[in-house]
Amino acid sequence: MDYFSFFGLERKLTLDASQLQKRFYELSREYHPDRFARKPEEERLKAEEASAILNDGYRVLRDPVQRAEYVLKQEGFDVGEQRSKDVPPELLEEVFELNMALEELRHGDEDARASLAEAHQKFINMRAAADEELTGLGQRYDQSQDRAVLQQIRGVLNRRRYIRNLVTEVEKELA
Amino acid sequence: MAYSDKVLDHYNNPRNVGSMDKNDPNVGTGMVGAPECGDVMKLQVKVNPTTGIIEDAKFKTFGCGSAIASSSLATEMLKGKTVDEALAIKNTEIVNELALPPVKIHCSVLAEDAIKAAITNYKDKTAKEQAAVAQ
Repeated sequence: MDYFSFFGLERKLTLDASQLQKRFYELSREYHPDRFARKPEEERLKAEEASAILNDGYRVLRDPVQRAEYVLKQEGFDVGEQRSKDVPPELLEEVFELNMALEELRHGDEDARASLAEAHQKFINMRAAADEELTGLGQRYDQSQDRAVLQQIRGVLNRRRYIRNLVTEVEKELA
Repeated sequence: MAYSDKVLDHYNNPRNVGSMDKNDPNVGTGMVGAPECGDVMKLQVKVNPTTGIIEDAKFKTFGCGSAIASSSLATEMLKGKTVDEALAIKNTEIVNELALPPVKIHCSVLAEDAIKAAITNYKDKTAKEQAAVAQ
């Protein structure tokens, strides 16, 4: 079941969040268990199933990252297990260096806190930049339906995953 | 999920952590990563150019226990092997040795990729050097 068509929305990477929410509420009412309490079992089960799809779909579609991953998967891109060949070497180099710096700070004294806070801000900014890039590429894909753009999106998602991990790591240290 | 004793041993006492000069013509460097889990693994080999035997291996991995253990074990396996023997190392050997569960098999794949990347880097370097000498 395609989530976009389930919600009756156009299949787009740049989705109107308020429109999605509106459809979610409408469909939630439509499939609400109270409305099926006295209906035959077959209908009740169908409504339950629709409710489950509705909730899963809403979770995926409202999050720009998950939404992009969903569309990539639909278009036959492997976004699960990925091998290193899919990651540009410069990115690995960069992530490695960032991890090294983080490790040094981690073993440092109290003075390292300021540097950790700085690193935290830097990673947050990098994540925001990746999100912005994702939005831009999403618009480009919606207009062109060009698979090459999806390939680029996949690259940004990989990068973002690394950045997200760095954010988590540094937040653990700052906590 | 519980780690096997061997994974814990390598995780708590990782062998051959460190780095070598990547500009050394006898050193091959492999840098690989798995975006799904955010792991990065750097593995280096130092080859004796006359015998073709790997004399030293170092690694540094940022990732889960299994990824660290896999690369630690990989460096142990590499020492004393020839370059071609090193290329023949399969991830299943790492899986068996560390008793990795199915969800962690990708960590051993990453280690195998790192070995291949390091050896390839070394081979590229020597090929370039020979080409330079030939000119």
